[in-house]
Parts: sequence; C-alpha cells; structure tokens
Amino acid sequence: MAELSVIGQRVPRVDAWEKVTGQAKYAADYSLPDMLWCKLLRSPYPHARILNIDTSKAKKLPGVRGIVTGKDFGGWSWGWMPATRDETPLAVDKVRYMAEAVAGVAAVDEDTAEQAAGLIKVEYEELPGVFDPEEAMKDGAPKVHDYVKNNISVEYHWNFGDVDKAFAESHIVREDRFRTARATHGYLEPPAILAYYDPTGYITVWASKQSPYFHYRHLAACFKVPLSRVRVIQPFIGGGFGGTKNDSLAGDFCAVLLSKMTGRPVKYIESMEEELATSRRRHSVIVYSKMGVTKDGLLKAIQHRVVADGGGYTAIGPLSMYLNGFMTTLPYKLPHFKFDAYRVFTNNPIGAAMRGHGVTHTRFAAEIQMEMLAEELGIDPVEMRMRNAIDNPKPGEIYETINKVTLKTCGLKQAIKEAVEDPLWRDRDKLPKKEGAISWGTGISGSSYSGGARQMGHQACAAIIRLCEDGTVNLITGATDCGQGSDTVLCMIAAEELGIKLDDVAIKRVDTAYTPVDPGSYGSRVTILAGQATQKAAREVKKQLLETAAANWQVKPEDIEIRLGEVFVKSDPEKKMPFIRLARIACYSGTGAVIMGTGYSSYGIEHLDLTNGIGNGGCSYSFTAHTARVGVDMETGQITTTDFTIASDCGRLLSPVQAEGQIEGGAIQGLGQALYEDFIMDRGKTLNPTFLDYKMPHALDVPNIKLIDIVTDDPFGPFGAKETSEGSIVSAPPAVVSAIHDATGIWFKELPVTPEKVVKALKEKK
Amino acid sequence: MTTFYRRLPKFNYLAPDTLDEALSLLSRYKGKAMVIAGGTDIIPRLKRREIGAPEHVIDLKGIPGLDNIKYDVSGLSLGTLVTIGAVETSAIIGEKFSVLAQAAQSMASPQVRNRGTIAGNICNAVPSADSAPPLLTLGAKLKLVSQKGERTVGIEDFFTGPGQTALADDEILQEIQIPHPPPNSQGIYLKLTPRRAMDLAIVGVAAVVIPQDGVCQDIRIALGAVAPTPIRVRKAEAVLKGQKFDDALIEKAAKTAAGQSRPIDDHRASADYRRDMVEVLVKRAIKQAIRR
Repeated sequence: MAELSVIGQRVPRVDAWEKVTGQAKYAADYSLPDMLWCKLLRSPYPHARILNIDTSKAKKLPGVRGIVTGKDFGGWSWGWMPATRDETPLAVDKVRYMAEAVAGVAAVDEDTAEQAAGLIKVEYEELPGVFDPEEAMKDGAPKVHDYVKNNISVEYHWNFGDVDKAFAESHIVREDRFRTARATHGYLEPPAILAYYDPTGYITVWASKQSPYFHYRHLAACFKVPLSRVRVIQPFIGGGFGGTKNDSLAGDFCAVLLSKMTGRPVKYIESMEEELATSRRRHSVIVYSKMGVTKDGLLKAIQHRVVADGGGYTAIGPLSMYLNGFMTTLPYKLPHFKFDAYRVFTNNPIGAAMRGHGVTHTRFAAEIQMEMLAEELGIDPVEMRMRNAIDNPKPGEIYETINKVTLKTCGLKQAIKEAVEDPLWRDRDKLPKKEGAISWGTGISGSSYSGGARQMGHQACAAIIRLCEDGTVNLITGATDCGQGSDTVLCMIAAEELGIKLDDVAIKRVDTAYTPVDPGSYGSRVTILAGQATQKAAREVKKQLLETAAANWQVKPEDIEIRLGEVFVKSDPEKKMPFIRLARIACYSGTGAVIMGTGYSSYGIEHLDLTNGIGNGGCSYSFTAHTARVGVDMETGQITTTDFTIASDCGRLLSPVQAEGQIEGGAIQGLGQALYEDFIMDRGKTLNPTFLDYKMPHALDVPNIKLIDIVTDDPFGPFGAKETSEGSIVSAPPAVVSAIHDATGIWFKELPVTPEKVVKALKEKK
Repeated sequence: MTTFYRRLPKFNYLAPDTLDEALSLLSRYKGKAMVIAGGTDIIPRLKRREIGAPEHVIDLKGIPGLDNIKYDVSGLSLGTLVTIGAVETSAIIGEKFSVLAQAAQSMASPQVRNRGTIAGNICNAVPSADSAPPLLTLGAKLKLVSQKGERTVGIEDFFTGPGQTALADDEILQEIQIPHPPPNSQGIYLKLTPRRAMDLAIVGVAAVVIPQDGVCQDIRIALGAVAPTPIRVRKAEAVLKGQKFDDALIEKAAKTAAGQSRPIDDHRASADYRRDMVEVLVKRAIKQAIRR
C-alpha cells in the first residue's frame, strides 16, 4: 500500500466541535413559526379489534387543530418487501401489539396535544393474544394477521451438503436450545420529526433517520406525490443501531398528514418511555442447534432451526432471518449446513434490526456449542478454534463457503493467535481462581460479520466532490452519519485521494433535494460503499487538476503528485505550488470548466438471494477473536467483567480513533446483551420501558478493553477497509458466557445471564 | 387509553418562604396539595401519570434553615431539606453514623443526590428506600409538624405500607432525629443491585452491631425492598444478641432474617431470589461489621 497521509491518522471527528459545544441540532431542536405539536394515542391492549373511535370531545378542546385516525391514510400500507406490506401508519381495524398507535392529534402546544389525545375514546373488542413464538406457530393459536398461515411471517429452508450423512459420520453430535434476549438500541435521542406539507404540495421534513431515503420513498408512496416533492433534511442523529430509525413511524406519518390538513408545520417528539415500549427491537430468537464433530474436533455439520419472535408486523424481518443464517458458515470451515428459519407473528412489539443484525443469535449458539463439544472431547478451546478456522486466502485467491460466501481476506487465525498471546489469556492460570465468594473465569470466542451490505434494490450510492476556488472541496453524499462517524471517514478518504488536508474537506448533511440517493446507514455499508464512491469522485477531480497542472508545467499528468496540499513534479520537486494555487488556475484559467467529480459504488451490487441463502450478503467480512475475564459472586450470582481483549481484522482502520471506539462500543453493547439487557414482558406489556429498569451497562460496569489490530487490506474496500463493531457485538456474548462457564462450570444458554439465573443454576448443580 | 406523556400535568405551584407559611398552605389545601423537597421522586412520577396530579404543589426548597445537619449532645438531626449528597459528604455522619453515609453514597447519581433529600426518600416510602434500613437500625425519630402542633414518631411506626406513611394530610416531616450510637457500634449497609451504581436495591440490608470481646452486646438489622415497608428483623437480632459470634450463629441469624422477609415477585427479581439474598447479605453485613 502506498504511503498514506490522512488515512490511518488519529484525528478528531469533523463534527466534534459542534457536538461538544452543543451547537449540533437534532430533529427535536428544529422549529418553525406557527408550528403545531403532535401527540399519539396508543392502544392499551396487545390484540384488539377497533370498533369505534370517537374524537368529538378531543376536537372541542380549545387549541386542537387536527385529529387523524387510521382510516385517514386511505388504506395505504408499507413493508420491507412488496409481499410484506402489512403495516399501516395507524392501526385501522385492529391493534396487534401493546401501545400501537391508533390516533394522532395536532394542537397549538404539547400540553394541549397530550390532553386531547387523552380525550379520544376508542372502543375496543379485546382479542385473545399470543405472546410466545412457539405457541403462535401451533394450529389454533390466535391469528395476528390473516394473510399468513400459523402466524409465520417469514420462513426459509436452506440445505447445503448432506447434514444427515455428516451427523451419522460424526464422532459426537450435540443438540441444544439457545435463546437470545429482547434487546434494544438504547440511543440517547428518541425519534423526532418536524414536518411541513406546504400548500403547493411539497413535503419537507427534518427527521431523525439513519436512512433518510427509506423515509423519502415511504412519504412519497403514502401521500401519493412524486419523489421530487418530498424533501428529507437530515439533522444530526443521536445514534441509530438499526431498527427504529431505519424505518418510518406512526409519528412521522401523522405529523405529515396533520400538516397537510392544517397547513401548518407539525412537530412530533417521541418520549423515551414510548420509544422503549414500542421500538423496533432486536428479535428474541430461539436457536435449536445441532452440531457434529469428528474425533479431532473438526466441524462436520451444523443444523439450525430458529424461531424468532417477530411481534405484530413484518418490518425488516425477511432480512433479519436471512442474516440469522447466511453467516453461520463463517468463521469456521463448515462442510454441511442446514437452516430452517421461522419468523413468527406475536402480539409483542415488532422485532427488527439491530447492530450485529441476525448473527448475534446463531453465532452465540454455535460458539457455545462448539465449546461444549471441545469440553466433551477434551480439546483446548483455542486449539478447537484453530483447527476449524478459515485460513487467510493468498492474495488473488478466494475462499468460498458451502453457501458460496466468498472471502478475499480472513484474519481469524492471526486474531486468535494474537489474542491468546495477550496476558489476559496467556497468564490466566497464574491469576487467582477464587477470592472469597468470587470465582474467576476466562473465556474466548470468535466471530465474523459482513460489511458493505447488499440491497434488495435501490443500490445507488454516490458522491459528488466540488472544488472551490479557495483550494477546499465540498463533499456531497447521500450517506448518513447517524453517530458512527462516517462523515469523518468520508472526508479522510476525499483528502487522501486528493492530496489535501482533512480540514480542507467540508461535508454536507443529507438533503434529498440536493444529495445523491443512497440506501442509508445499516449493514456496515457506509465506509465501504459510500467510501468507494467518494474515492472515485475524488479521483475524477484529481484527474482534472493534474491535467491543469501538467499543462501549466508542460509535463505529463502522471508525473505530478499532490500530497498534503502541495503539488509538485515527482522528478523535479523544486517545481511545486500550493494546492490553492492549482485550484485557482483550474478555476480561473478561462476554460469555463467547473471542477467537479462524481463517483458511485460498484461493490456488491449482485442481488441478495433470500430464498436459497446462496451467495454474499456483503462485500467483505471482518473477523474477531475475543477473550474475556469475569468474576462471579457464587452467592449472589453477580458478574463483574474486568477485561476484554479483542483482536479484530477490520481490513485496515481508516480512522483509528473512531474505529477503536466502534469496536469497544460494539463489545460493550454486546456485554449488555450478555449480562443485563432484556425487556421483561407480561402478556404483551413491556414491564421495564425505562432506562432505570432496562439495564444497559454503565461506565462502571465496563471492563478494561485492549484492542489488537489485525491488518488484512481487503481488496473490496477503500484502502483495504472492512467493517468494525458488528464483529465485536457478536463476539462479546459468547466470550462472556464462556468465561462464566470457566468460573462456574455451568453453560448458560439463555441471554442475558442475570444474577438470578446464576444463583438458580448453582442451586440446581448442587 | 395509553398516552405517553412528556409534560408535567398542570398544578398550582406554591413556594412558601417560611415553614409556618408552608404549614398554613398545607392546612388550607388539605388533601389537595402535595409537598415536595428535591422533587426527584415526585416529578418523574407526575410526568408518567403514575400518581394523580394534585391541585397544588408546595415546594419547601426555598425555606431557609431546613437544610441543617446538627450534631450535639442529643445526637444528630437532619432538617427536611438535607440532601442525600450532604449526608454522603458530611464528616460527622461518615464518622459516627457511617451506615447512613454508606446508604447515601449508594443512591442514584451525584446529580440526583445533590437535589434529592433524605426526608423525601423517607416520605416517599418505597420499600426499597435506601435511607430507611440505616435509620431503622439507628433508631431514628421523626419530628412531624402541622399548624396544630408537633409530634414525634419512631421511624418504625412511620411506614404503614408501600408509599404509605403515618404523615397526616396537613403534616410536614421537619426533622429526622438520630440518637448517639453506642461508642463501639459498627454499621454496614449492603445493597444488592444488578449494576455497580445508579440502580434501585433488589435487597438492602443495614446492620448495626456492638461487639465486645467476641460477644454480640447488641445488634439491629433492617431490610429494604423485601416487604411492603422497610422492616427491622428482631427475631434475627435475638439469635445473636448476648451470644458469642460464630459462623453457625451468624448463618442462623441470616436465615432467620430471610424467614422474616416478605418479598414479592416483580420485574426486578423474584421473591425467592430476594429471600435468598437477604440471607447472603445479612451474613455479609454482620461479618463486615464485626471486622471493622
């Protein structure tokens, strides 16, 4: 790799100043003159027919300007695929989960809107509900939707190789049932929108969306206007992590419709409790895992039957279930694989996407089951992994899994090697095993995650770079920085390619009226895909500039180099000028040209094969080896996590400060899902919709984290980059659970491993 | 119907300048007014509509002189506006009433501790109130005042049920009075929480022990979050009182305490787990107190 000037530098984020000084404006900060406030009325039942909605009393409340109910949307519905458009902006005939929205009010202030919402009378006929996905699949269970059989919202049946034969030939076969928690994103900014449907028929919204172009299409479809009449302006986003901010919500549609009805701007802010009670959370998934190995611990086959709690609607469920399966053939060599997936409707809130989407469930099951088999065989867990790990393909070669997932690079073996050389693992037997009531343990896991997610359609992803006559450039993309730091990375890519300083690149936030269309922020796709687009746009600008410089110096363009704002002739470095001068020559030389470059991404545009699970879901794959040390209080069951060592093959870290923050953040979010986080449900009701009772780890619960960087330079990513952080959210739970086993001798198969579960298991063991 | 509110309900906000004025307002709006000090419990509950909106809210925060920590011959007294943070950082409380300081330190976040008051924690009367078990073991008395006069109630008689107290409609808790503990007494507050900080107690245990030459001269044990109110467990105390400390006897006292607890199942923990943890924590608290 050529010498790099900007990429790989430890620089502050481009938005750091605005954020730390409080100048960054989020959707809830925006207001317009004459603005109304929207509030939603939500269902008190998880499953009920709506018989009648009486808004008369609410309408009479002074200050109320408009009220909408489900029928006002004219029967429009949306969904992730044409066949799954089962969700309406507000419930029309029946509600399918607790706190589903049934009406929206616009009033002159928030107090009045809240009061009016409480005055709407809805007559319900309560229906029997179903809350457990395995119950919901049974014949005779209450039906959540009529358009499917047995409440099955999505199902896939993939079969690679011959698992039956492989199990018959295996030395040991294990079958276990695992279950993951109902976890949520836990961002600080609940969804908000300011909407204005102007009298000429244009819709403008400032909305907290990590994929603004999804919202753009939803609004155009819902209000039956051409896309050119929808303008989504992206404010700063206070965290996304998939799910809720990747979709449109009742509050969004109501704000726009109420604005249309009243002719005034309408603002809607979700309360945190409302967000936690209704968010599109991670699916809770039951994994029936069957795994066969040889006497030497080599994997023969995995058969997974997964049952996911889909909640009331399909949303992004078809993708979630695909992701549950297609990466099970990573990061170990697997000759036979069978996958039967069921996403099941229940009367719970909607299951959807979250960081580490899909893989967190099945990799947890597979990692723990592999450890159990290693234990049975008497093989060291590191040795077990090294025997099965996929090798790093030689440059130019490709490794293909049985379901045709292709790898150009795989740093897993190197990652495991370096992780176990770290003192946390190497010296684990020198550290105390028992101190008072505390029993200590160390565990390990491996994981993989795809970066540069492929789409079902809407692949377009572009960047535009415009040279300014002051020697700076404007970078315009449709990519959304929802907090992950992509704006900084894209600016670094532009600066590196152009040979200018990072400060001389300015990025603008998404405005669908001006920025090129983009799929959005999910599937670790922005750095890889928008990064490639940015790289191409920058190269186009550079080409024009080199031509100008070449003409000026009477040399060939390829003889010239630009680095950190200096332009010079390679063979004669005395012949040089500052970049700003070249920019002026290019802008003022009288050709009339405006120096602009455009680029679009070309990686990973093959169609995603959901039905058969064949092929790639992304462009490249990260690999992680993760070790953890925990102390378990054998009397109270409390678990303290003191250390993580995470060796990650992220290809190459473009912005190390941010990438490290991402890897650590993913691991801490994974720790939350291993030990603390779960929505406690009672017949569809979320009993803990507050951050007091939905327990995310606090700063004091976070271990010391040591990161080891494995560089593989993937050819399918700008400057060799792959994904960061989805690998570490996947690797954290099995590493922690493996460490708990080391401390207690117990394998926990259901997340989160709470103190109460530990005490119960210790009692049963006695 | 379900509306998730972001705004406080409407009420008439009253900020008296003197205790007399506060008592007069309280008497005038008897049954229709709510008294707040720090407001850290009441305000979020009002926002969530967990409690009905009162017509009037009487805020004591502006009344001078109610935030005194007094230590003299008669003992310690805490004015109704003494914050949790003030108790946490008071040198005299740390030295002489350490069990209370430990509880204060375990509560909420620094921001909340700087605003919330110990008296508010007591009057809110949730079973998990952290300041209650230490005050029970310290034998605190509560001075309640109204326009009609004043009375003193032992803290054990103050809690009448979850969120229920002996405080009458027109009364304010003016002062928490704590007698001097015996010179060689040692107190420990242990709080079981899922995370290391900023959590409500699953179980809270306070133990104050007076050990002498390996014998338990006196002991008081109180529990939080495992009964409708914070409770003293006298049967457990009796197991050890006057006896020589030994592991078996401490275990027996801990088991007795668990037997005296009456926890419930809820989304935070099961009753069984809470009962088991009473045993673990009482045992640990006594052992730590002896070791001090």
